Amino acid sequence: MISFAVVEVGDDLPPLRLTLSTEQVRAYAEAANMPGGRFMSDAAAQAEGLPGQIAPGNFSLALFGRLLTAWAPAARLSRLSATFRALVRPGVPLIASAVVTEKHASDHGAFVECDLVLESGDGDRLVTGTATLAFD
Amino acid sequence: MSVPVDRSVVGQEFDRTTFPPVTADDILAYAAAYGETDAGWSRPGPDLTAPPTFSFSLRGSHFMPKNLPTHLGRHAFDAGKDIEIGVAVRPGDVLTAVSTVHDIYEKTGRTGAMTFVVFRTAVTNERDETVAVIDQKMMFR
Repeated sequence: MISFAVVEVGDDLPPLRLTLSTEQVRAYAEAANMPGGRFMSDAAAQAEGLPGQIAPGNFSLALFGRLLTAWAPAARLSRLSATFRALVRPGVPLIASAVVTEKHASDHGAFVECDLVLESGDGDRLVTGTATLAFD
Repeated sequence: MSVPVDRSVVGQEFDRTTFPPVTADDILAYAAAYGETDAGWSRPGPDLTAPPTFSFSLRGSHFMPKNLPTHLGRHAFDAGKDIEIGVAVRPGDVLTAVSTVHDIYEKTGRTGAMTFVVFRTAVTNERDETVAVIDQKMMFR
């Protein structure tokens, strides 16, 4: 189990590799109460001028959360931030990765900061972000 | 020549919604939808709590205020999101989300001027504890 003491700046987290299916994107949109047509089907998305069905931005943050908390289950995810740079679409191989950029401890607690990126198999950076994990 | 950004709506509350009590099924469906495997967030039982991004599933009555300045642009894009995560959500919690216009600012990029509007949603539980503070950044052009 990862503890604050063993984390070092520059540590790479084990990446999360996955390819979203159309059904997964639709299921996330439904569970997240995001009923927009662009999340439901290619046809509805194309009617909005998009190339096809896209994943909600929140889905990318949920994947970042999964990556971080799987790495450090004893830590608490206290902050997550993302910039949406390009569309995330089903059928595209994705790699979510993170690197430790800072660790600091004070009377307020022990914290680890990470940089995050969700990229396509072709290396396009689709979503970038940062996160803070709080350790006891 | 661009129109100066009208910041008069900054600080305005445009939605306040109290949701029905969170159910275990709500939590499990949300966790399953993004492939969560942590037992604490994905297995039914007395220790079940919601995963950190669960607050994203709360949908208020209004996505944005009705009186946003009309000159912001014809197209709106979801540019990014920040979430500060507070106390854990458990089945039975009654959550309230209050959304305000947090900021409006302009940026000029390679393709011209863009206006960003930040909507802030503060989520609390029935004990008035902060569950999450979410900033959603919309880009208009």
